[in-house]
Amino acid sequence: MALREQLKKMILEVLPGVDCVIGWGAGYDALHAAPLFMRAPEDVERFLSGPLGAFGAVQNPALFLPELAGKKIGLVVKGCDSRSVVQLAAENLIKREEVVIIGFPCEGVIDLHKLRNKLAAHFVVNEPGGVTAVNLAGDHLALTAGGQEYTFKRDEIMADKCPRCREPNAVISDCFAGIERRADNIADDYEDIAALERMSLEDRFRFWEQEMSRCVRCYACRNACPLCVCRDHCAGASRDPHWLTQADSTRDKFMFQLIHTLHLAGRCTGCGECQRACPLGIPVLLLKRSLGRAVEEMFDYRAGLDTEAKPPLLTFRVEERKIKEREW
Amino acid sequence: MRIGVFICHCGSNIAATVDVPEVAAAARRMPEVVYASDNMYSCSEPGQQAIVEAIQAHNLGGVVVASCSPRMHEPTFRKAVERAGLNRYLFEMANIREHVAWVGKHKRANTAKATELVLMAVEKLRLNRTLAPRKIPATRKVLVVGGGVAGIQAALDCAEGGLSVVLVEREPSIGGKMSKLDKTFPTIDCSSCVLGPKMVEVAQHEHIDLHAYSEIVSVTGYVGNFAVTIRKKAAYVDWEKCTGCGLCMERCPSLKAHDRFNEGIGATTAINIPFPQAIPKKATISAAHCIRLKTGKCGACAKACPSGAIDYEDQDREFTVTVGAVVAATGYDLTDWKVYGEYGAGRYPDVITALQYERLLTASGPTQGRIKRPSDGKEPKTVVFIQCVGSRDPSVGRPYCSGFCCMYTAKQAIQTKEHLPDSQSYVFYLDIRAPGKGYDEFTRRAQEEYGAAYVRGRVSMLYPIKTPDGEKLLVRGADTLAGSQVEVEADLVVLAVGAGAAEHAPRLAEKLRIPYDAHGFFLEGHPTLKPIETNTAGVYLAGACQGLKDIPASVAQGSGAAAKVLGLLSRGELESDPQTAGVNLTRCTGCGKCIDICPYGAVQELEVRGKPKAGVIEAVCQGCGLCTATCPQGAIQLSHCTDNQILAEVEALCRC
Amino acid sequence: MPLLNKHDRRPEHREARIVGFLCNWCSYGGADTAGVGRYSQPSDLRIIRVPCSGRVNPLFILKALLNGADGVLVSGCHPRDCHYAEGNFYARRRLEAVKRFLPTLGIDPRRFEYSWVSAAEGGRWQKVVTEFTAQIHSLGPSPLMADAPEFDFLKECGI
Repeated sequence: MALREQLKKMILEVLPGVDCVIGWGAGYDALHAAPLFMRAPEDVERFLSGPLGAFGAVQNPALFLPELAGKKIGLVVKGCDSRSVVQLAAENLIKREEVVIIGFPCEGVIDLHKLRNKLAAHFVVNEPGGVTAVNLAGDHLALTAGGQEYTFKRDEIMADKCPRCREPNAVISDCFAGIERRADNIADDYEDIAALERMSLEDRFRFWEQEMSRCVRCYACRNACPLCVCRDHCAGASRDPHWLTQADSTRDKFMFQLIHTLHLAGRCTGCGECQRACPLGIPVLLLKRSLGRAVEEMFDYRAGLDTEAKPPLLTFRVEERKIKEREW
Repeated sequence: MRIGVFICHCGSNIAATVDVPEVAAAARRMPEVVYASDNMYSCSEPGQQAIVEAIQAHNLGGVVVASCSPRMHEPTFRKAVERAGLNRYLFEMANIREHVAWVGKHKRANTAKATELVLMAVEKLRLNRTLAPRKIPATRKVLVVGGGVAGIQAALDCAEGGLSVVLVEREPSIGGKMSKLDKTFPTIDCSSCVLGPKMVEVAQHEHIDLHAYSEIVSVTGYVGNFAVTIRKKAAYVDWEKCTGCGLCMERCPSLKAHDRFNEGIGATTAINIPFPQAIPKKATISAAHCIRLKTGKCGACAKACPSGAIDYEDQDREFTVTVGAVVAATGYDLTDWKVYGEYGAGRYPDVITALQYERLLTASGPTQGRIKRPSDGKEPKTVVFIQCVGSRDPSVGRPYCSGFCCMYTAKQAIQTKEHLPDSQSYVFYLDIRAPGKGYDEFTRRAQEEYGAAYVRGRVSMLYPIKTPDGEKLLVRGADTLAGSQVEVEADLVVLAVGAGAAEHAPRLAEKLRIPYDAHGFFLEGHPTLKPIETNTAGVYLAGACQGLKDIPASVAQGSGAAAKVLGLLSRGELESDPQTAGVNLTRCTGCGKCIDICPYGAVQELEVRGKPKAGVIEAVCQGCGLCTATCPQGAIQLSHCTDNQILAEVEALCRC
Repeated sequence: MPLLNKHDRRPEHREARIVGFLCNWCSYGGADTAGVGRYSQPSDLRIIRVPCSGRVNPLFILKALLNGADGVLVSGCHPRDCHYAEGNFYARRRLEAVKRFLPTLGIDPRRFEYSWVSAAEGGRWQKVVTEFTAQIHSLGPSPLMADAPEFDFLKECGI
């Protein structure tokens, strides 16, 4: 049975015991999926109904959980999504028993920014309705835009987080469709950060200045983050505390990203929703991954793997093993 | 806010390297500053009067004084602005003496720095809010943990002062280490004769509620209102009925129980009253040794007991008391001397600790006060005392001096001579530390009048040898004054084993939320000026749990702790420092991170309209601000040190 | 030694802008002790008094650096000696994390240091300030985003 059919069967089994099951349905065109809230069996027909199937299931449905506290929710998750669920449970932001987790072996998802850049190279602007036909066959994606067909290799348009993903299967699940994908020999070499760090310090600073100057302060990055606890009380819009001015300054925009990054220190699971949601494709995930790397180095800790773990910056050891007491 | 700024010359202390009038002139250009002046000595009576008059004349709503460290004069100036009718928290200080004038050489750079510090203080002050201390009711009852001499003293003094006292002791009797001693230095008083009456007073005092053979399970609440759960361990004897007659001990067939009170010198019965002067004088059954409790057969004590007090079904009981303050007086335990292979690591029966030797010297002890060595019961002729066993030895993790061993060793050498006139004592020591009143004279008497031979040096090894006079221990050491090797054939070796904090002290510290050091000693509020307080309001220290000390010092600290408690609870209500954290309930999303990290448990979860929120118990909050630095959305803010205030200071600095 | 002045554009004459966050109980007291003992120090550092190093949100450090501070120093009680028992243990983790994070932003991690200085350690405080100030001078002015506003209160005051 195809993966989609297996998942649909599971969703139908889970549905009677929950208020709704969240998965992905069709978006405004064939390339875009949208979160799908399934409350009745007929809703399940729309699950992963786009031509990309699970390859297009980019959103992290864990985003909706804290808002739905008190309700019983079924959730279809990729490996990365499941880590967000684990982290939310570890921080008591959701109750584990209120969620029924349906996992599947994820083979990666599309990065629409990459695709847009590729189309742009062909002078095609990907606007709603601009892409008229999409066909994912094997390792290739064929699409028609402006009456012309383009073919891309699947790997070229896959999200960067996928090839380095160490948890393609849900790390916790109540039911699991398909056969777990092995990922034993996959490592995250943080090559994206290493590449940045090959630049001089001054160049890195100017890189961020350039990137941040493009920011429009839409806060889509924050709105897409499943671990944001501030929700309606974001530092970006607050007078007390008044971390940011309302000025359209690069400095304030950068500061906002640093606030988001620091709030996620030792908590970010690297799901990459912030960067995916950014309409300008600013690489804000780099910041979170850099701090995440520091946390992993210092505490041998990665967020979202253990519902019993405490985020390392919310605890301490009297003798830290990997923090050198500075001479001064 | 109408702000007044006062720049102090501090005579020439500041004025010599800071252009004070220029700083005052710059202050007049700062936001909301309506008045600025320079004064010769702001802290002096006329200096303070000038501030008071300026507040009234210019209708000031806030004051900045730039002078010395706020750690010096903040309270002084707060009182001054309060005299002028201003809330004392509408005040800030800029430290231009310790941090500027006294450390910088260049007048121009110093003047610029002083100006910036004043600007930062002004910007912070603009965001200050009126704060008022709150009154909280306090329970006029105190918990004393530990019934050694320090705890006994604290309990008696508190009770005499009119407070109710709950005294909790882990062992079946109070008295602590002092009750095990035969005599005390430097007067060679009978220890139990001086301690006994105090113990009896505890038992009889109407205000003291004694719980022996009990432990602290948990402590919640805060200064003025701690809720303490206490576990009374199962004694298998109903203490209400037990008269302490001791008939049960006479009939008990289980004779091999470890004798805790006698430090393991000899064995005792499974049902036991630790010593004749025990308070309370009640029997306790050791479950590990009682034949009845192990096999179900026996019951000799139940048959013997004339009051029917034996209860083999007894169980631990827990109960909770509310107290306003806590005195920790958990004392010390000997360190593990068996780490010393060179002293036999416990293999030789005639190598004993000084505390065991005390039990041999005591008339009420297992040998009725006759010095008999454990191996064969013979009276020793040659006794070697080894000092600093587990003290001043970083190699075993005990770098500190235990403080009292030099003195008790001298005392034991004197007592040895008095018990056995033809004996000879040798004392191997590193240094003689005898700084108390009459103490140095005492150690000299041990040598000069009682002929104890003091050898300055460490013992490198000792081992058993056979001699024509019987089995002995050959003690080999160095005499560093003579520069020679020394060998002594000893009948008995007494180790001055050093002391550490009581074994369970760190566990209690965690419950009381007081810090402790690497050796388990509780940390005082300040090493010189707050030796009795802890940094947890309402918790005080007495005796060796804070640091090793001898009996007079423990008694003094016990009285000191009592004085602190009596002062604290004298009015039946407490004033809390208003510089605490507060929660903006609208911004709080109830994520609970502040609750988890608060070192004092001062943040608790509340339910507001069905949603979880954080709430601060102001009386518990100590104002550290860890929660403020942790809350992602800045919903919990430390008054007087808010995010906005720190941001304003940073901003001011970057504006200069 | 030339007189240091922030407005002087010659690097060797310019005073650096250094922000210090000091805990009230240990390091602020240590700085006082250094003052009482007349341990002379470079004058670049400005101290913000906070109750505990645990009060220092790492974002203050980033805010200061982005606002034009050339260096930031956080100093608290020695680990195990925290007035509030645990504050500096949390601070240690958070400060170390932010220090390791700075290179990604293009900010030299040597612009931020943290130290433990007790109220008794006046001499140690002098050493920390002197060495850190020298380190910041060797790094020169910090990079600024081009649209960072320029203020100059002291110049307005003629100081």
